[in-house]
Amino acid sequence: MFRKFVFLLLLALIVAPALVAVAQEPQGLPVEVPGGRENLWVFDRIYRLPTEADWNIWKSGIHTAFFHALMHETFWNRDQETGEFIHALAAADPVYNDDFTEMSVELRQGVLWTDGEEFNADDVVYTIDALRNKYDGTQGGWQVQLNDFDAMVEKTGEYSVKFTIGRPNPRFHTLFESRWNGIYMMPSHVAAEVEASLAEGENLSAWVWDAEDMVVLGNYLPIDWDENGYWQLFERRADPENSLAGIITGGSGPPYALGIWYGNENIKKAIAMSRGELDVYFDVDIESFETTLDTAPTARSWYKDFPWAYPNEVSSRAMAFNLEGDSMAANKDVRWALALAINIVELQSEYIGGVAKVTPFNIPPTAKLYELYHGPLEQWLIDLQIDLGDGEMYNPYDPTVPDQIAAWAEDYGYTVPGEPREVFGTGWWKFDPDAAEKLLMKAGMSRGDDGRWLTPDGELWTLDIQSDPSENDAYRMGQAAADMWSEFGVDVNFITLDRSTWTQNHRVGAFEVSTPWQSFALASGDMWPNVRGYHSKYYAPAGEDYNPLGGNSLRRQQETVLDELIDAMEGVNPVSQEAENIALAHEFVKHWVENMMDITTIAFKKFVTWDEKYWTGFPTAENPNYQPLYWFMGGKFAIQNLTPTGG
Amino acid sequence: MNLLRTYILPRLLQWVMVVFVGITATFLIPRLSPVNPVDEMLARMTAFQSMDPDSFAAMRESTIALFGLDKSPIEQYITYWSRLLQGDLGPSFGNFPRPVSDIIATALPWTIGLLGTATAISWTSGVLLGALAGYYHNRRWAQVIERFVVVAYPIPYLIIAFVLILIFAAWLQWFPLVGGARGDPGFNWEYISSLLYFGFLPALSIVIGATAFRFIMAKSLTTTEIASDYVQYAELAAVPKRKIMLYYVARNTMLPQVTDLALSLGAIFEGALITEVVFAYPGIGFITYNAIYNGDYNVIMGVTLLSIVGIATASLLIDLLYPVFDPRVRLR
Repeated sequence: MFRKFVFLLLLALIVAPALVAVAQEPQGLPVEVPGGRENLWVFDRIYRLPTEADWNIWKSGIHTAFFHALMHETFWNRDQETGEFIHALAAADPVYNDDFTEMSVELRQGVLWTDGEEFNADDVVYTIDALRNKYDGTQGGWQVQLNDFDAMVEKTGEYSVKFTIGRPNPRFHTLFESRWNGIYMMPSHVAAEVEASLAEGENLSAWVWDAEDMVVLGNYLPIDWDENGYWQLFERRADPENSLAGIITGGSGPPYALGIWYGNENIKKAIAMSRGELDVYFDVDIESFETTLDTAPTARSWYKDFPWAYPNEVSSRAMAFNLEGDSMAANKDVRWALALAINIVELQSEYIGGVAKVTPFNIPPTAKLYELYHGPLEQWLIDLQIDLGDGEMYNPYDPTVPDQIAAWAEDYGYTVPGEPREVFGTGWWKFDPDAAEKLLMKAGMSRGDDGRWLTPDGELWTLDIQSDPSENDAYRMGQAAADMWSEFGVDVNFITLDRSTWTQNHRVGAFEVSTPWQSFALASGDMWPNVRGYHSKYYAPAGEDYNPLGGNSLRRQQETVLDELIDAMEGVNPVSQEAENIALAHEFVKHWVENMMDITTIAFKKFVTWDEKYWTGFPTAENPNYQPLYWFMGGKFAIQNLTPTGG
Repeated sequence: MNLLRTYILPRLLQWVMVVFVGITATFLIPRLSPVNPVDEMLARMTAFQSMDPDSFAAMRESTIALFGLDKSPIEQYITYWSRLLQGDLGPSFGNFPRPVSDIIATALPWTIGLLGTATAISWTSGVLLGALAGYYHNRRWAQVIERFVVVAYPIPYLIIAFVLILIFAAWLQWFPLVGGARGDPGFNWEYISSLLYFGFLPALSIVIGATAFRFIMAKSLTTTEIASDYVQYAELAAVPKRKIMLYYVARNTMLPQVTDLALSLGAIFEGALITEVVFAYPGIGFITYNAIYNGDYNVIMGVTLLSIVGIATASLLIDLLYPVFDPRVRLR
């Protein structure tokens, strides 16, 4: 009896999985749509965020990720691949008056809200008024910025508006220029009705916008979602040709789009793609990407073959120094020594897999930014000299780095798809431990009997590097630096921290060397918006949080030269005075590099990878019409161009 | 009346003290963390965009006020208790202004469903098999089960979970990679079967280790128990083995098992973070993890409140029910 019972129990444990599996069609997607998989485009959601039935995107706190590009529009988009300034809801560039107190915008005609109403100047006027006066705080800091600029808008025609800016600013339009977010237009005919129905004392922050009531300018509307945040399902509007993305691209996009979160483990995205349950993922580590290539025969990334990954997201990774305190790294010669103790070819190839572009300063060498920065500054970099001590001058820049990486790739049997500089970026600092040694000696340091470096006080020199593993390449860059500096004789502590603690340490200056990422320049090349926070007026001493001041005092820098350049850039129109603006930006870069305030190594790369089993038409290196970064606002154009393969 | 005063009332007071101290500690601990919920939220809201520093500082100030964090810790503490006593857990900072109670209500049924079922299965099978294997320890089948358990128990949970995913989701592709169910919730076979389908692997991963643990415990208790004089006497008296097993041995080994069951059920409210992460299964664990990561004080306090009340209540119930199971306690 007991034997039978135990046998049956064990049998049940073994057979139950099969029975449960048989009871269901073995299909792991959480939704089904009319027409099946051939009508459904499935994308990787990046984050898991609890979803509630409120799509009032303007109010403070609402998560915009993943659906902003599908549903919302602003005046202009900046394409990160081409650098192109795309006219979205605006029909032309912004037009400023001479003292930048007025900005006129001509609106695009013929863009329809999903309820058939045409977008016009009334929507703009309503949006600005609502954001300034009818919310308790808004998304993206739009309310405080509009109020800070004392921005008013008036309708000058059915399809034209004029902004009056109380605080003159030649870059006011960037509030409406989206890379990730921009001020999204509200359907005035809907929002005004909602406003009228609010209870006394309530404002639009109390507006809960149900999916079934939504009216948008984008190509998709939400129809179903998981409240626990694993997925959201969108349906294409009935008239995709009247959406902005439809008008610009001429495409209609997949009938349904499902954003799904497979978890933090990269390998699960690879498994999902191999099962045909994911059409595109935004990034994985190289090992999971190789698994995808092995298990999903129709999958690819930006390049069909090596180096595969998309190399042009506008950001770069650097070893940043805390310039304040007792750290030896507060000494410029020490920082230069550390730069010359890094073998960038080995870092880029052995640690990063050869799949990212090298850059010596915090601007990624995209086509547009290379043209504006790396190309024009190349000769200056070649001529740059540093003092190794005793008057010995030294040229640290090595312009042959891309060729060396190309040689490494060819040794591995890879074919380099283009000129080494197009694929692997720019030159970098020479790997020269002898020169690095001289610089440390100049700084008063010496080697101990065991070859380890000692401080001028004769103490063992210990250098702490903090890094966050969730940014894979930045973390690997930090590991490479730790290995190479240890090899050079530095006692390095490599400290792994979770993102929150690591970021908080940045804010209060509780680090010695860290691995952040940033770009000084926008995709357009304009620098001031990204560096204005480095001004000394936002300086906070180490130990104090810089966030309450609003700027970026991560490095605790106080550089009068930089302050003057930032002030000068502020008054220059980045479009009509581009040459003057970029010249100032070059000076900023030069000062930063001469003082080696960061050791910048590589640009961002993303293994944004798509499977062409069900959908094709994603931008590629062969057809770089739009950025493939579908999670940014500009990603909508790539989505709109997708066509079914027939599965 | 004497029972109420000497036995029940002290335990009820103890329950109140545990909950009060627990909630107070939960209020203080996140505030000692370096993670600031306002900065985390603003970092998300302003990601990938360049913002005027002065405007950012102004927005930060207004957000601090919006969250009520501009008040002193004492004021915040009093506000929290006054809200709590009205059944309001406040808004989530990470998903502002969504109420914490709404977030917990969305996630909790999944956790209760998964962990409740897994605990029930693992407790029943572990205790039963362990007791049988302990009593019939010389039988072949008992030795086979024990060897399996000895091998399975030390394997880290994460390894078991990934092996299940690799076999059943990646290789055989029998089970899904993400989610808790498919379709609209309802009491129909389609939805219930999808619940089983999506929940099977996560549940199995928990059941394997939990069953092994309880098997070992039950077998050990049974092995000790069968060496007792009363068992040997019963066997000499030719009492049927099944009766000895079920009515004497099993009953006497149940006390620690019941304690374990009650505490395990109480601990359900802590969630199963690793299971949720590995299997991308909904539940309270990931909500808690995210809240700690983002300094979302109110969510941390909401979830911890549940956990404290759950475990304290389970302990109280054990205390109150022990006399029912164990006459010796009753006599004392």
